[in-house]
Amino acid sequence: MSNTTEITGETEIERTTGSAGYSRTAVIVHWLIAVSIFFLFASSWWMLALPLPSDVFTYREFPFQLHKTIGITLVALLAILLFVRMRHRPAPPAVSPWMRRLAAVDHVVLYVLIVAACVSGYLSSSYSGWGTTLWWVVDLPNWGYENEELNVFFSDIHLWTCWGLLAVAAVHISGAVYHAFRDDGIVRRMLRV
Amino acid sequence: MSSATNHMAGAGPAWQSWLGIVAVVLGVLLSAGHGTEWMKQRVILNATPADGRFPAAECPEDELIEEGLSVAECEQLVSNVRSFVVSAPAWFPGLQSLLAAVGTVLALVSVGVGAALVDRRRWAPAAAIAVFAALTLIDAAGFVAAVNAGPILRDVYLWNVLLWFFVHLMMTLGAAAGRASTAGA
Repeated sequence: MSNTTEITGETEIERTTGSAGYSRTAVIVHWLIAVSIFFLFASSWWMLALPLPSDVFTYREFPFQLHKTIGITLVALLAILLFVRMRHRPAPPAVSPWMRRLAAVDHVVLYVLIVAACVSGYLSSSYSGWGTTLWWVVDLPNWGYENEELNVFFSDIHLWTCWGLLAVAAVHISGAVYHAFRDDGIVRRMLRV
Repeated sequence: MSSATNHMAGAGPAWQSWLGIVAVVLGVLLSAGHGTEWMKQRVILNATPADGRFPAAECPEDELIEEGLSVAECEQLVSNVRSFVVSAPAWFPGLQSLLAAVGTVLALVSVGVGAALVDRRRWAPAAAIAVFAALTLIDAAGFVAAVNAGPILRDVYLWNVLLWFFVHLMMTLGAAAGRASTAGA
């Protein structure tokens, strides 16, 4: 066994699952997205408890700009992830059909919710009248005009898509942990660089 | 050493996969937590009025509706920051920023180490012990800081940091025990 592994560079699990894993770019971008999403959750709960902005209180300035910047970057990262996954598709894992279907649905819903959360957040910000400067360098155009009703409308969509995203991410993580505890090699595909 | 020879042959011990995925998931969550804590310290330090005085909160009605806040809650937002500022000893923001910055880096490293454990890299168990132990030390330092920061900040930080301390302690011991059992097999 050891000799075979060293010659082919392939482990027993890979031969069993018939998959060599995702590309290096996909793995790195996937984990960047994961860290970004949880940072956005944790930091947003804190920043919304900061004093409302005024001439004296500017506590919200930096966290909100960072939140919007990371959110917009997240869409770009997701686009890169989808692009590299289209170009390099690992062989489907050897799991039951219902698991494969659940994983496929979970992934699609996850991607849709990430985009919906980011776009609704940006639109809410646009209609609030507050500008967005991407990474403190690029002034993004305000797609909306100052409109309180639309701001609240998109803010509500942002809120609920984020809660949905957290729920679907929990399902996604549960699947990963389940496969890692079974030690069936499926999770390794997204952990090997 | 080539990538192939760097791997253990076959599946390897199952504990590496179990501990590895726990390290990956907790590492992602912890990096978000430490990153937020670092930002919290920097923002409060930089945005607090230089004279340290907190005027009355401004609570325009349209903002209250947008945020779903009452006037009392809006005023409390300022009181919360004020309470944080007045209860922090002079050394606290600097130390807490440092611990959060180092903690963020170590948490991200623990994601990589966790991935290496799942992938059965030969160096992963030793690296896991080192990184998890370093995270335990960061938690211990945070615990000592919170203990000495007064009752308000103690209430905010102490239990949370104690929880992480025990999580990282168990992960360190788990990696050490797993490595010892693998070496003895």
